[in-house]
Amino acid sequence: MGRDRFAKQSLGYLYPRIKQSRILMIGAGGIGCELLKNLVLTGFGEIHIVDLDTIDLSNLNRQFLFRQEHIKKSKALVAKESAAKFNPHIKLEAHHANIKDPQFNIQWFQSFALVFNALDNLDARRHVNKMCLAADVPLIESGTTGFNGQVQPIIKGKTECYDCSTKDVPKSFPVCTIRSTPSQPIHCIVWAKSYLFTEMFGTSDEETPEFDHSEDNENAKEIENLRQESQALNNIRQSMGSDEFARKVFDKVFKDDINRLRSMEDMWKTRKQPNALDFDGISKGASGTKPSIAQQDQKAWTVAENFTVFSDSLRRLSTRLQTSQSQTGIDTVAPVLVFDKDDEDTLDFVAASANLRSIIFGIESKSKFDIKQMAGNIIPAIATTNAMTASLCVMQAFKVMRGDIDKARMVFLERSAARVINSDTLKPPNPNCNVCGVMSSTLIVDPDRATLNDLVEDVLKSQLGYGDEFSVNNEIGTLYDPDLDDNLSKKFIDLGVKADSFLTVIDDDEENPRVNLSLAILEKTLPEDTKAVHLPKKLDIARKPKDAPAPITNGGTNGDTNGHVAASFVGTKRKRSLEDPENGQQQDNKRGKIQMPSKAVGVQDDDLVIADDSNDGAIVIDD
Amino acid sequence: MSLCQNRLQEERKQWRRDHPFGFFAKPVRTTQGVLDLKKWECGVPGKDKTLWEGGLFKLDVLFPDEYPTKPPKCRRPDWSPEVKRSDKHAGKFVPPLFHPNVYPSGTVCLSILNEEEGWKPAITIKQILLGIQDLLNDPNPDSPAQADAYNLFKRDRQAYEKKVKAIVKDNPAP
Repeated sequence: MGRDRFAKQSLGYLYPRIKQSRILMIGAGGIGCELLKNLVLTGFGEIHIVDLDTIDLSNLNRQFLFRQEHIKKSKALVAKESAAKFNPHIKLEAHHANIKDPQFNIQWFQSFALVFNALDNLDARRHVNKMCLAADVPLIESGTTGFNGQVQPIIKGKTECYDCSTKDVPKSFPVCTIRSTPSQPIHCIVWAKSYLFTEMFGTSDEETPEFDHSEDNENAKEIENLRQESQALNNIRQSMGSDEFARKVFDKVFKDDINRLRSMEDMWKTRKQPNALDFDGISKGASGTKPSIAQQDQKAWTVAENFTVFSDSLRRLSTRLQTSQSQTGIDTVAPVLVFDKDDEDTLDFVAASANLRSIIFGIESKSKFDIKQMAGNIIPAIATTNAMTASLCVMQAFKVMRGDIDKARMVFLERSAARVINSDTLKPPNPNCNVCGVMSSTLIVDPDRATLNDLVEDVLKSQLGYGDEFSVNNEIGTLYDPDLDDNLSKKFIDLGVKADSFLTVIDDDEENPRVNLSLAILEKTLPEDTKAVHLPKKLDIARKPKDAPAPITNGGTNGDTNGHVAASFVGTKRKRSLEDPENGQQQDNKRGKIQMPSKAVGVQDDDLVIADDSNDGAIVIDD
Repeated sequence: MSLCQNRLQEERKQWRRDHPFGFFAKPVRTTQGVLDLKKWECGVPGKDKTLWEGGLFKLDVLFPDEYPTKPPKCRRPDWSPEVKRSDKHAGKFVPPLFHPNVYPSGTVCLSILNEEEGWKPAITIKQILLGIQDLLNDPNPDSPAQADAYNLFKRDRQAYEKKVKAIVKDNPAP
C-alpha cells in the first residue's frame, strides 16, 4: 500500500497539486516541529524551513524532531534531517537564518505557493505578513499560548491581514513600584532579578529593559534617593568575598533601605508600611537550616529558609564571579553574571531575595518553582496545543489551496470554553489598515543614477499625478515632504534606501487622498538613455475610504508570545453566528471586548512564553 | 508601514499645516538626512504675562515603538543614555529645567504623558506641548519631581521667582 493512498483518497484532485507545490515554513520550534511532520506526511513536494534559533535542552519535551544530541545545533537543519526520514519523496531545504535577512526578498517569497508562520514573536510575524502581502502569497498564521491556540489564514485583498487589528503591548512597571512600593510578588521578583542581581553581579546598571524610567511616580526626591542607593550597593560590591559580605548586602537592602523608605511617611498613608529584617535575629533562627532546602522548589520557604538560601547562593555566585575575574586580564571587560532561570545559583538568589522582600512588605511568598516561571516570563508551552494547532494549520491550508476562501476559518483553541475548538469566518481587510490597505508595487531603480527627485518628479508627480501634498517615507522616517526638499538631489544609496527595502508614499491631498503606496526597491542597471527610476507596470491607485474607523485593539494577548490568541467566545453565541453568517460582524465586535483571563508578556526566549493563569499580571518592564 | 510611523507622519503633517505661535516641533535628521520621526526636537515658549514670558524652552520628545498606545517621553535636550550612565556613577546629573515637575533626569512629569494616568492615543503633539506650556507657570505641587525647584516654590516664592527669571534670561525666545 502506497504511503499516499489515504491522502489521495481524502484530498482527491488537490493531491497532485500538493505533491507539486513548493511551500515555506518559518519557525521550527513548538508549532513548527509538529507542522513540518504534518506537511511532510501530507506529501507537499518541496518544503523550505527557516529558523534562526538553535536547540535548547528545554525544547526537547515538545519539539519532538530534536534529541539530546542536537542541543546547540540549528533548529532548521535538524528539523529537516529528522523530518526527511518520514517521507523520502519530499524535497526539504533548511535555512539557518533570520527571515528578515535581505536574501529573503519579495521575489523569493513569490516562489512559494503558500507560507506557514510558526513564529514566536510579533516582529517576525509582522514582517512575514508584510512580505506575503507584497508577494501576494497566502499565509497561514498560527500561535499558541499555554492551552490557547489560533490559526488565521491571510489572503491579500480577501481577508484581514495580521496588522488589520492592533496587538496589545506588554505592560511595564514604573521604576518606583519596583524600587519603593511593591504590592505583588512579581514586583519583588523583578526587583531581585533586574535590580539587586544586576547591581551585585551584573553590569551595575539599572537600565535594564524591565524598568520603566518615565519616572511618573508621586514622590519627590525618591528617584535621587534610589540612585544613591545603587551607588551604596556598588560600594558594598567591593567587599565581595569577605566574611562580612552577606551581612553588608543584607543590612543594606533588607534593613537600611527599608528603614529609609519607612521614614517617608507620606508614602505609607495609603499603604502598609514595610518592616526591616534583622540579620542577627534571623541568622540565629536559621542556624539549623541546611542550604539543601533550596532543592525544595514546590513550597514557599520560611524566613529562615529564605535567609539560608540567600546567604548560600550569594556565596556561590560571589565565588563564581571572583573565579572568572581572576582568570581575565586587567584590560579586558570585567566579567559579569547574567540571570538565567535555568542557572540554579542565580535562580536561588533571586527566589530567596524576592521572598525576603515580599516578607518585608507583607506580600505573599512564592515557591522557587513559581518564581522560576514568573522571573523567566514563562507559561508552560504545551505539546498537545502545538500539535492541535499545527494540524488546524494544514486543514486551513487545504481550503486555501482549493480556492475555497469562503470556507476557510479563523480557528481558536481554548480549554475553558464549552468547546475546545471554535471558529469564525474570516473578516474582510480593514480598509484603513496601514499594511494591507495599501497599493503595492516594485520600483525599479538604477542605483548608480537614481535620485529621490527622479521618484518624486518623474514617477509620482508626472506619471501618477500626485499633487504637491505628499510624503515619501522609509522605515526610519521621512525622506521627502513639501517642507523637506533638500534630499531631492541625493541618490537613493546616499539616503540609505537599499535593494529590497520599502518606501511608503503617503498622499496628503485634503480632498481625496490616494491610499498609501508601498514601493519595494528592485535594483537594476538601466540603459543610460532611460529614466533611472520606473514602475514595472501601470498603477491604478485607489482613494482612501472616507470616514472609515481607525484600526481597533482586539483585546488579545500580545504577539510576542508563542502566539496571539485574539479572542474567545462561548458556544451559544458561536452557534448563532454559524447559523446566520450575517451576524458575523456583530459577533466580531463582541469578541473584541472579551478579555483574556491572562496577560502575556514579551520574551526573548523562544522556549517559553508567558501568560500566567494567576492574577499576578505580567512581568516586563521597559524603558 | 507601522501604526507608530503612520501616526507620526500624520502628526508631522498636522504640525506643518498649523501650529501655535512661538512653538517649534521637528523630527531630527539622521546622518543620511532622513527625518527620524521617533525623535523630535521641540520648543515651548513661556506664556505671555507670566514669569516665563520671553523664554523658549527646548525639549526632546521621544516616541516608543508602541506609540500611540504608549505615550512619548519628554526630556530636556543633551540627555543621552551615555551621559546619564556616567553621571550616575559620578554622582551628578545633567542639569534639568528648574521646575517642580521636571525630574533630575530632565523628564517632564505631566499626567497626560503617563500611561497609567491621563495618556490617550488621541493626544497630539500640539496638545502635549501646550500642556507643558501650561505646566510651566502652573506647577503641580502634589507631584513634585525635583527637590530644588519644589522646595523653593514651597518655602520661598520670591527666590523661586527670581530663579525663574534668570532661567528665562538664559533661554530667550528668538
